[in-house]
Formats: sequence, structure tokens, C-alpha cells
Amino acid sequence: MTAPPGAGVGSGDAGGAVPDFALPPELVLLQESVRAFARDRLRPRDRAHETARAVAPEIAALHRELGLGALELPEALGGAGLGALARAVVAEELAAADAGAAFALDPLGPALYALHELGGEDALRRHALPLLVRPGARAVLAVDAAPRLRTEHDVVRGVLPYVPADRVDLLVVLERERVYVTAGPFASTPLRGAGLRAAGASELALADGARVLDEWVGTPGARRVLARTRLYHAATLVGVARASSEYARAYALERVAFGRPIAHHQAMAFLLVDMAMAVDAARLLLWQAAAALDAGDAVLTDEADALCAGAFVEAAEAALFVTPNGVQVLGGHGFVQDHPVEKWMREARALSLLAGGVDLAREDAGRRLAQASEPPLALVRGGAWS
Amino acid sequence: MELTLDAELEARLREVRALGESRMRPLGLEADRAGGPLPPEHPLFAELVARGFGRTRWSGEIGGDTATAPGAPRRTARLAVLLAEEMAYWDRGVAVAFPGPGLGEAPVLAIGTPEQRERFLAPFRAPDRPRWGAFAMTEPGAGSDVAAIRTRARRDGDAFVLTGAKSFAANASRADWIVVFATLDPAKGRDGQRAFVVERGTPGLGNFHVEHKMGLKAYESTSFTLEECRVPAANVLGGAPDASAAAGPSSRTGDGFRGAMQSFNATRPAIAAMAVGIGRAALDAALAFAREASLLRDTRVRDRLERMERRLRAARLLCWRAAWMADEARANQVEASMAKAFAPAVALEATSLGMELLGEIGARGDHLLEKLHRDVKAMDIVEGTGQIQRLVIARQLLRFPRD
Repeated sequence: MTAPPGAGVGSGDAGGAVPDFALPPELVLLQESVRAFARDRLRPRDRAHETARAVAPEIAALHRELGLGALELPEALGGAGLGALARAVVAEELAAADAGAAFALDPLGPALYALHELGGEDALRRHALPLLVRPGARAVLAVDAAPRLRTEHDVVRGVLPYVPADRVDLLVVLERERVYVTAGPFASTPLRGAGLRAAGASELALADGARVLDEWVGTPGARRVLARTRLYHAATLVGVARASSEYARAYALERVAFGRPIAHHQAMAFLLVDMAMAVDAARLLLWQAAAALDAGDAVLTDEADALCAGAFVEAAEAALFVTPNGVQVLGGHGFVQDHPVEKWMREARALSLLAGGVDLAREDAGRRLAQASEPPLALVRGGAWS
Repeated sequence: MELTLDAELEARLREVRALGESRMRPLGLEADRAGGPLPPEHPLFAELVARGFGRTRWSGEIGGDTATAPGAPRRTARLAVLLAEEMAYWDRGVAVAFPGPGLGEAPVLAIGTPEQRERFLAPFRAPDRPRWGAFAMTEPGAGSDVAAIRTRARRDGDAFVLTGAKSFAANASRADWIVVFATLDPAKGRDGQRAFVVERGTPGLGNFHVEHKMGLKAYESTSFTLEECRVPAANVLGGAPDASAAAGPSSRTGDGFRGAMQSFNATRPAIAAMAVGIGRAALDAALAFAREASLLRDTRVRDRLERMERRLRAARLLCWRAAWMADEARANQVEASMAKAFAPAVALEATSLGMELLGEIGARGDHLLEKLHRDVKAMDIVEGTGQIQRLVIARQLLRFPRD
């Protein structure tokens, strides 16, 4: 089914570990409450939020009351202390209503991962907690593999062509082997944005002596942050794809052509089935990667790293297949902005450009595969190449 | 959320791996070169029976299955997809040739009476020799359209007389019995169908012809005919309909078709898992070749291998999800069909990519990848084509009409 399985009776572990896809009960509850919030509060206002380039303050307050603002912040710092699977569930549900609003509602976004993983509670206290009490404040994580920003004597220079925010209070820059933090000053030039407009959109210039406040050097740290960032965006992409798939399905059951609902023409039915299937496949890879991250805790295994990269690629491929077809199913109605499917198509395209882009993730997962010392998909370890 | 395997499952898989490496892979290649199935007297089959293969999953209890310890959660379906994948990794053709009740087991379990389970499955609990069961639905004129089968069953006293022709029945010529689907009344479509257990040697059962296939040559796909073949009423799965049932509606009509569909729900994730196994074999062979030929420096090659690894992993998770739901006794028709619709196409892509990396070596016709490329195509055809799976899903998700 297109919506992820929520309530389910787990197998328990009486007989040892066997594949089991039931979410833990606390995540089922979380999923239900986020789904209701997204459906009742975000979806009805999607165009208003897009126009305003922000989420209405009363909606943001509701989001905080649900405890969603600090989902992965450690409990010691007043957060919920939840892990990657919780993030995967929450990000999908929010994005299934409005991915741009989901970004606007999460002031730290993936920047949290860098601060938490590399700087620990100290960095969170210094950089993250002040942002959480400043209304409208936003931290942005930019993957800068090229790189486009340069640092010299702890001063950052350069321009990022796009960040999904109108206002940036803290910038975390993720290079391949280095992560650093700056609080500006920034010069933001507002952009129209291809999608995700509720989050804002701007060109971000660092030209006036923006200083590096914290810096962590080393590949493993940078990879951990990138893996979590990819997972975050993969979940968002799954949500967008699911929204489009479900909307197109409902429309196709209503819209009549040639004497029957268009869903009952086989070419259309098969397309809708393939859309639903693509969403499910992407979600399963997302959950697998999230479970691997949560199982490894602080340690990022090569495997979890590759799973996160793969989850991001699959989610992007699914969303880039599903969302244009969501428009296609609605035909002319899909092309006009009375329906949200055109928005989801734009958002899927924009989202796939984040986290360093899909090709970088392909490259990372492909390199790991090329270096595999064992058959990559063996069900049990210790197998030889046949 | 749990995606790891416990020690018991790992041990079972290691056992299959050892058997696969030493026996299944070499025998599959040998049968492929020879162009025909392994004969029933092949020593592999006796060896398998001695090692505990070829048994029914029926424990002798009503609703029982042997894969679940008392009090433990059911894990039969998950065990089945895991073993199916690992066996197909080594050789799917040899795996299907394995002794056992085969595809006929599911309808006997799903709609057979307790007496029928005892009669037909008890010999498979601790088989004295390699024994096979078989399943025959498809006909020369009715493949995907299973409601259109023309094999007729006519009541005659305490027996039914079957007349018709069946095709693509695995292991049929060597089977102790074949579950044959026939119609009491073609005008009723699927509601007129019943499943009959036709025992070896029944007069009228004959004309076995082993088809010449593109791949999967290690097992026999067999056509046969039923000519005025008398089957005792006691062999009608679920019990014989009373005299009026053949003429009018009754609570029992449609059991045959329902039994077939239940069989498919149970076996589709396993077929999908077999596709994953073949695809995995192709990925490993492609990776090994690419490494040897220094192709892995090429981004284009790595990207395509990455895609194969990722898509096969997604296919595997779709299989596992469908099996998990089956074990939890949740309706899994959509999920089973999704796995079956998804996995074969992905696996074919993996074998085809492997061929492409081989270059002209692939065209020689003597590389494992070339065989896998022929073998895997059947996975998108048997037990419901990819198109039929999409119809099944569309009926659920979209209320797609049947007619």
C-alpha cells in the first residue's frame, strides 16, 4: 500500500531475529500525530505558505507543542533524543503535506547532525540552543564538495547559489574531509526558488569577514554527517513522492473519461501501480538505512554509509519518476496550480539537488561497491566470490 | 524494524550455500550444456533426501508448519523467501528440480481436507526416496487468463472424469501426484473450477512431453494430457461438491480457483526472491569480471553496478515485507504482487548489465552470466506475469474492474 504501514503487531523476538517491518509502538504514535498535523494544518495552507515563504506562526507553535522541533536533539538538552528511523518517519509525513514547510519548521535541519556528531553537547549548547529560542532563526547545512566556499585564516569567502532559507543565522559547511561552522555575516539575496518556497530561498554570499567558529577535520566525521543528511532528504523525497502518488490515485478514481474512471483504463492503472510501487521500494531502502544508522549508534559503518547514499538515490529516482507522472495523470489540471501535483514535481527536482546531489551519492555508493571485499548482498557473511 | 537474521536462519542459509557451491551451481551448468533436465534417478536427489530436503512443511497438525517452534512467532514465509533466494543464487533450475511436494503443496494445505493432507503430504514427511508433487493450471490456450481453462471434469458416480491438456507443469512426469485444475462448467469461469489430485499411473494421464526451454533446463517443464481420466471423488481438494453443486451455486463453488489464488499469494514472494537470487548471482559475477578486467575505474560502470545492487536490495525488502505480512496473517496480496512485479525486471537488468560488461565474451554463450540472462526471464512469467501482478494490485488499490 502507498501509505507506510503504521500500527502492526511485531513478531517479537521469541524466535530470534527475523525480518520484521513493524515500527516500534512509540513511532507508530508519533507517525499518527505527525500525519494528522500535516494533513490538517500544513496541507490546507500549502499555497499560502508558498506565497508567504514562511509557515504561519500559529502552525509553527503547534509543531513545537508536538515536540517535533527538537526530535533528534539529545534529551539532556531538552530534545526528544530520537534516532534516524524517527526522523525518517516524521520527515516523510511532513513532506507528504509540504516539504518546504517541513524545512521551515525544523530550524536546525541537518545542521544538527554536524554539531551533534562532531561537536557534541558543547557545540549544540553554543550554536543550536540559541537558535531554537530565536523565532524565525534558521541553520543551514550546505554540502560543498566542489568546494565553492574558501577559507583563509579562518575567514570564509564565496557564494552559495541557493540555500532553502530566506534568513540564515548559522551555516554549517560540509566538505569531503572537513566540516566547519560560521555565523556570518551573510548577505542573502532572495530568490524565487524552484520549489520548497515555504522554506524561503536565497543566494548566500559570505564576503564581509565571516569567521570559522568551529572546524572538524577528517573524513569519517564528514561522512557521518553526510550520511545522516542524505537520509533526512531521502525521507523528504519519499514523502513528496507518496503525496503525488496518492493524490494522482484519488484523482484517477474520480475523473471520468471514455465512460469510466481514468484509473480503470489499463495504461493508467499500470502507471499508478508503478508509482505506488516506486514509493514503497524507496521507503523500504530508507527504513533499512535508518535502522542501520540507529543500530550503529555513534559509529558509522561503511555499510550504513552506503545504505544512506543508496536510500537517497532511490528516493530521488522514485520521486523524479512519480511526481512528473502525478502531473501527467491530472493532465491539464495537473499543469495549473489549482492542484498540488505541479508543486510536488518542482519540489522533487529541487530536493534531489540537496545533500551534494544524487550523482555524488551514486559515486560514494559505487566506490564502496567497487571496493567490496565480499559479495555485497550475501545473506550470510563469509562467502567467497562465486 | 528488524532486518537481521538470527543464528538459526544463518545456519540454514550456510547449509544451502555449501550445497549450492558444491552441487547446485555445477549441476545447473552441466544440465544447461546437456540441454535437458536432471533425471529422477540422478544421485543428487537421493543425497538431498538423505540430507533432509524434499520434505513437506506440513507438520501433521492442523494448520501446523515445521518451521515454527512451539510458542514462537510464525516465520514460515520468511524462511521460505530466504531459502528461495539462496537456492536460486546457486541455480534456480536445480532448485525447482529438488524433490518435494512442490507447488502442489500450497493448494493441498490451503483447501485440502485433513484426510487429504494426510494422504498426499504424509509421504513427504520423511520420504523413503525422492518424491515429487506437481501443480498444473496452465494450458496451451490459457496462461494468464486462468479463468479460461478448458480441462473439463464430469461427474460419473463416485468419480470425476477429466479431459484436457496441461502445460508447463514442473516435475509432472516424475510426480507421485499432480494437482490439476479443471472446470465443472466453463460457463461459470473461475467459480466452476475445482482442484483434483491426479495420482501417478491413473489411466488416461499421459503423453508427457518435456518442453525445450530457453533456460532453467535442469528441471522438467512438462505438458501432458488427460483423456477420460477417472479421478476418485476423494481426490477433489476440499471434498467433492454434491450433485447439485455442478448444476447450481453452492457454498463450495469457487474453491478450486480460490485455492489456486491462495497458492499464488503464498508463492509469489518466493518466486520474487528467486529472481533476487539470480540477480545477485549476476551482480557478483559482473563485479568479479569488472574487477578482473579493471573496469571498476570507470564511473559509468560503477554507477550501473551501484544501481543493480540498490534495486536488488529493494526487491529483496519487498519480498521480505510480503513474507513478514504472511507470517503475521495479514492480507498481503498487494505486497506479494509488488515483490513479484518488481524483482524479475530488476534481476533481468542485472544479468543484462553483466552481459554488457563481458562484451563479446558474453556472446560466446559459455559464461555463467549468459546462462543467468536466459534463466531469469522466466521469473517475470511464471505464477503471474508482471502484467498480471499489476492487475492484481490495481484491483486492490484502484478497484480495477475484473471485466
